[in-house]
Amino acid sequence: MKIQFNTEQVKLKKELREYFSEMMTPALKEECERDLGEGGGPLWRTALKQMGRDGWIGMGWDEKWGGKGLTPLEQFIFVEEVMRAGYPFPFLTTESVGPILAEHGSDFLKKTFLPKILSGELIVAIGYSEPSAGTDLASLKTTAIREGDDWIINGQKMWTSLAHFADYTWLAARTNPDADKKHKGISLFLVPNSAPGWSCAPVHTLGGIRTNVTYYDNIRISDAYRVGGLNEGWKLITSQLNRERLSLINFGPCSDLFNQIVKWAITTVLPSGESVIEQSWVQANLAKVRAYIECMKLIVYKQSWAMTEGNLDMADASAAKVYGSEAFIEIYRLLGEVVGYAGLIRNSDEICPQASKIERLYRTASIITFGGGANEIQRDIISAAGLWMPRASR
Amino acid sequence: MDFGLNQIQREIRDLSRSIFKDNVTPEKLASYDEYAMPRFDEDLWSKLAEAGLLSTCIDSDYGGSQFGFMELALLLEEVGRSIAPVPLASHCLSMMGIQKFGEEKIRKKILPEAASGKILLTSAFLEPMNNNPMSAHSTSYVFDGKNYIISGRKQAVPFANQADYILLSAANGEDLVVFIIEPGAAGVSIKPLQVTSFEPQAEICLNEVTVESSQVVAVRDGSTLVKWIFDRMLSLICMHQVGVTDAAMKMSASYTSERTQFGVPVATFQAVGHRMADSYIDIECLRLTSYQAASLLDLEEEADIELQIAKIWAADVGHRLSYSAQHVHGGAGIDRDYPLWRYCLWLRHNEMIVGGSSYHTQQLGNLIASGRGLFS
Ligand SMILES: Cc1cc2nc3c(=O)[nH]c(=O)nc-3n(C[C@H](O)[C@H](O)[C@H](O)COP(=O)(O)OP(=O)(O)OC[C@H]3O[C@@H](n4cnc5c(N)ncnc54)[C@H](O)[C@@H]3O)c2cc1C
Repeated sequence: MKIQFNTEQVKLKKELREYFSEMMTPALKEECERDLGEGGGPLWRTALKQMGRDGWIGMGWDEKWGGKGLTPLEQFIFVEEVMRAGYPFPFLTTESVGPILAEHGSDFLKKTFLPKILSGELIVAIGYSEPSAGTDLASLKTTAIREGDDWIINGQKMWTSLAHFADYTWLAARTNPDADKKHKGISLFLVPNSAPGWSCAPVHTLGGIRTNVTYYDNIRISDAYRVGGLNEGWKLITSQLNRERLSLINFGPCSDLFNQIVKWAITTVLPSGESVIEQSWVQANLAKVRAYIECMKLIVYKQSWAMTEGNLDMADASAAKVYGSEAFIEIYRLLGEVVGYAGLIRNSDEICPQASKIERLYRTASIITFGGGANEIQRDIISAAGLWMPRASR
Repeated sequence: MDFGLNQIQREIRDLSRSIFKDNVTPEKLASYDEYAMPRFDEDLWSKLAEAGLLSTCIDSDYGGSQFGFMELALLLEEVGRSIAPVPLASHCLSMMGIQKFGEEKIRKKILPEAASGKILLTSAFLEPMNNNPMSAHSTSYVFDGKNYIISGRKQAVPFANQADYILLSAANGEDLVVFIIEPGAAGVSIKPLQVTSFEPQAEICLNEVTVESSQVVAVRDGSTLVKWIFDRMLSLICMHQVGVTDAAMKMSASYTSERTQFGVPVATFQAVGHRMADSYIDIECLRLTSYQAASLLDLEEEADIELQIAKIWAADVGHRLSYSAQHVHGGAGIDRDYPLWRYCLWLRHNEMIVGGSSYHTQQLGNLIASGRGLFS
């Protein structure tokens, strides 16, 4: 038991911090902030390709596929630092789609996709959810019907994030409507967003983040773009979601925000003459935030460690997701209280440089409580897998 | 970074768990209820001594098993899991204080006998209405050129009436000195207190108690010693709470899986399952923060921030878990014929002792306001 980084890990962290502080020019920062943590702008693209050239994409991938073969702990350090720098890194593409393709894709898919993902040239959107298939994802209705060597895809996906600038969609479609269980008739496809019949319309959310409805109107794609076994897509979906879940909870940006607010509260004097931090309720808020983030940090470190050891516990992974997603909300609320009215101002940071960020973050915080596997489902998993409690059938 | 236990740590955990499992039964615990007798199982104590578990952190020179603080911390988790009636934390910490700060003469006199369980030690650092033994003292000393004369009041002293020696702090202005006193010394009066957990605790009144220089453990380093022990005491309270919460949670999970209502196990109601899932998450947070603090202390590193955080969780989780566990049990949870209720007493004890959640939140806030605790 030793809950501290070793010297190599500390070195890696430092190297990354320096790399990103150089990479994040004021112009890139501004573009990323404008795109609300989604990326997709021209400077963002250029930076991603540069990171690809510098070998920072796919750190955890097998060396066989051009990765560095580093352990989940090191990957986690990477994630923490890139997020802290404020660069919206396309994790879904690089950390979940990529490795799953490497594991389950055909040679053709691997050769076509992996090098481009590694060089930062290819972004993939995730097309699972539909208007009537959310938490109960296996009830999805989009169909793929075989026609010779091709598939004809029809349907509508909801909440297809990044689709408006992504190159492909990782699409779940029903390939066997007669399967005895609904999750057994699903297959996965990589659909080019440039295909005839593909279209997309924006969906705007409370926090300003744009996502999309995507439409699939008689899209024809070759069977070569099907990933994994026919009707065996569910396994890929769940393993992709498991990987995705791990990158959802990241304390890098939060810990940086905490640091900035503490410094602000220490140095900012109120009209009454006392500093912001001299107010005891401010100290209490900051202490609570500190304690929340500390746990978030330990939980994700423990997960990365467990993955490195090859014994990630299902209940612990779910616990991390529930804890982290709910802690974020509390953290933004408590920090928002500290900056006060400034935390309601969208267009000025005159009072506190982080205030408008908090204003916005507070509005975005619900997404991961129901997304990425709803917290209710995660709690079901915890009581069943972590505490061996029986559960009602669904 | 390593969240796992090494070979020795696993052995200590497994050994102590099996000793407690065999020796701590609800029937035995019942004999201490309502202070029917002092909550101290001397048979169990000698079994722990035989197994070398009383002296985990003591050098082999003094008959100890010479492990580190982490091993002791894991042992306390097992004491918590079984709510074993043994004064392990106070005894071991007092020994460790003497070992680290005392002169060789004192160490030789006390440690071998303490390590073998022949004599019992405790510490008296806390004072009325004050959770911080490093400042504001209501026990003071004067030095008359030859002896020290101590007067004042100490509170929340565990096992004061059972102990052979008591480590006790007293101040003179800014100086803090730690003495070893005998409970029977002239001027010492011990008033037993009956507390929530049924642990023997006492208030000690000192009325011009005369102490020779040879009974001084730490003169110059008095406040260093008090802080050193107090940090570890906080850590062990948290580790004890990890064990208590984990046991109470598992008891609740099993009970709700067996108990049926409306023809199904109550565990299958999502509201029940989710309350238990929240307990699981809470305990994971408590465990990780407590392990982290213990691991830093094990390395003799500073852990001020981490200890405050762990104690905040120990208090909050103790409270939340106690009421969740009682609630999902229904009436059985508070029935004295079912084992949960004694766990609830300890959850409360560990929550409140040396300050509750709000107190430690404010302490942490103070540290943050002084510029400490930023993330690296
Ligand atoms: C900004 C944003 C980005 C997104 N990006 C993507 C994306 O890129 N790709 C993609 O495929 N999807 C994406 N999603 C969709 C997201 O995964 C879904 O919102 C999520 O799966 C929940 O589905 P739903 O919204 O239909 O809610 P519902 O499933 O209708 O849930 C409503 C409520 O019911 C609860 N509930 C459901 N089932 C149970 C149960 N069994 N027990 C207890 N409670 C239950 C839920 O927890 C929730 O609180 C995104 C969503 C948002 C808002």
